[in-house]
Amino acid sequence: MSYESPIRDQLVTGGKTYRDVTRDVTRPLENAPSKSWWIGFSISTLVLALWIGATTYTVFVGLGAWGLNKTVGWAFDITNFVFWVGIGHAGTLISAVLLLFRQKWRMSINRSAEAMTIFAVICAASFILSHMGRPWVAYWPIPLPNAFGTLWVNFNSPLVWDVFAISTYFSVSLVFWYIGLIPDIATVRDRAVSKARKFWYGFFAMGWNGSTKTWHRYEVISLILAGISTPLVLSVHSIVSMDFATSLVPGWHTTIFPPYFVAGAIFSGFGMVLTLLIIAREVMNYKDYITEAHLDAMTKIVMVTGTMVGMAYITEFFVAAYSGVEYEQYAFLNRAFGPYWWAYWTMMTCNLVAPQVFWFKWARTTPWFIFIMSIIVNIGMWFERFVIIVTSLHRDFLPSSWAMYTPTITEVSILIGSFGLFFFLYFLFCKFLPTINMAEVKSIIPTHHEDHGHNHVKGENHAN
Amino acid sequence: MQTNKYILGVYDNPDKIYSTTKKLINKGYKVDDVYSPFAIHGMDRLLGIKRSNLTVAAFLFAMTGLTLAVTFQVYVSKIDWPMIIGGKPNLHIPTYIPITFELSILFTAFGMVTCFFIVNRMFWGKNADIIDPRVTDDLFVVSIQIQENKTDIQALNQILVENGALEVRERIKD
Repeated sequence: MSYESPIRDQLVTGGKTYRDVTRDVTRPLENAPSKSWWIGFSISTLVLALWIGATTYTVFVGLGAWGLNKTVGWAFDITNFVFWVGIGHAGTLISAVLLLFRQKWRMSINRSAEAMTIFAVICAASFILSHMGRPWVAYWPIPLPNAFGTLWVNFNSPLVWDVFAISTYFSVSLVFWYIGLIPDIATVRDRAVSKARKFWYGFFAMGWNGSTKTWHRYEVISLILAGISTPLVLSVHSIVSMDFATSLVPGWHTTIFPPYFVAGAIFSGFGMVLTLLIIAREVMNYKDYITEAHLDAMTKIVMVTGTMVGMAYITEFFVAAYSGVEYEQYAFLNRAFGPYWWAYWTMMTCNLVAPQVFWFKWARTTPWFIFIMSIIVNIGMWFERFVIIVTSLHRDFLPSSWAMYTPTITEVSILIGSFGLFFFLYFLFCKFLPTINMAEVKSIIPTHHEDHGHNHVKGENHAN
Repeated sequence: MQTNKYILGVYDNPDKIYSTTKKLINKGYKVDDVYSPFAIHGMDRLLGIKRSNLTVAAFLFAMTGLTLAVTFQVYVSKIDWPMIIGGKPNLHIPTYIPITFELSILFTAFGMVTCFFIVNRMFWGKNADIIDPRVTDDLFVVSIQIQENKTDIQALNQILVENGALEVRERIKD
């Protein structure tokens, strides 16, 4: 028996019945893809081809295909890696942290947010592989007995921690996502007409039959998975930040990095969730499930985390000034007023200034405006990583080693191409899996006692 | 005497099936299970399902991951191949924390989910024992096991229908 507060707005509008939910969510799966799906899918496949081409070229030519030099040894590759990992974080935040806080508005958006997490981590991992230069020996950071005498990895190194963090994050997110999908896959199985659909959805539904005994255990493990994913998501980006923070490079060597990176990850992740969901609710007609109230809640998080990130930028300046360390001071002045000033001020404008418009209700509830803002947030967060990485490295300790970094066409192609990879996977997901968690959404729509399925008045509330 | 015969009451509302199940249990019927498209809050307690031990399993797996991670890192960096890197000691407990933490989580997640599949007898490719194809869509089914010479089927049917069952069916499980 769930209690529905008479004063709160309904999370799902349009007076949907359980059957409506099933029908709406399975429609894209059971019918031929729409024209807009084909257009989107074709474009992403073309962009994916660009990614494949540029990555293959890098593998054959080596890292000389990139604009790296002796001074700037990390640039686009790690920028893109941190960018994609950060994007992934919103998915886990929505599904795990909001589950622990019993935020029911998460229910219609968590499925696609988790899918986004998985695809973003795949994109991130691709940068790790390609930046190694020799991806065929990518297993070297894994501590395996090997042919060099037992030469183990160095457990002092945050780069090794990162290997464990990212692979754990990916596999646990995948498990969490799959567990959430099982009841919905069973729904698709039970509606399937063709033999192939019955077989494949039946295969992955693992014999799910909706028994209360199973639901009970299901809820227990969902809660624990949420409980362990919450510290996991915080640890992953903390460890990513330690790739920088445990070094001695001025501009990287700061204790503020872990919380600052986590806030930034949530910020950029929500930016990407908004980009995806605003398209999805328009194209797939999910406006009753992903309502303006959802957009409102998410933009508030964008504003809060954006402000936290901005606060961190300012804190870094304060600490540099207050510490009296002149290398640190130079690094930050160089960021803001050096040759990469344009990147710095893009970051400041997009991440700190722009999200402040969300103080206004209009800005939080106008989809086209939020869509533009979500792109701005993503541009800003990409530049944040670029600023941190490139501007800290390009002024080396010795002025004779100072250098500038310019990306090559190959690097730009890999960056653009990674969006192709991401959207390619996302479009396939929209076609083959239910993009809204039907089981959870059904549990939050009001139960109508006598008139179930007949007399739905918009905005009607029942207290049970 | 228990039989393999079950009476199924089909409902379209979680509140109705909850109150019906409560009545049936109070009258002493043996409610075997309730099938629903989503977890009905409180139904597990009503059916007297004990809190699952999967939480304990999760904890044990976490401890396994933790122990393995610590043992392995200590073995590698102190015993098997000690190396001095950056003048740091070989045994450097604080730097083991991230990997230990990650492996504990990894073991918890995979161990617990595997146990979940085992206790539910779920596996890839299993043929589902479907009570009603719409139970994953919008119907709720209560299944009552019939006890020989004890269950009054007539009275049971009446209770189910009076409480709003759309349909009452008989099912034989083999």
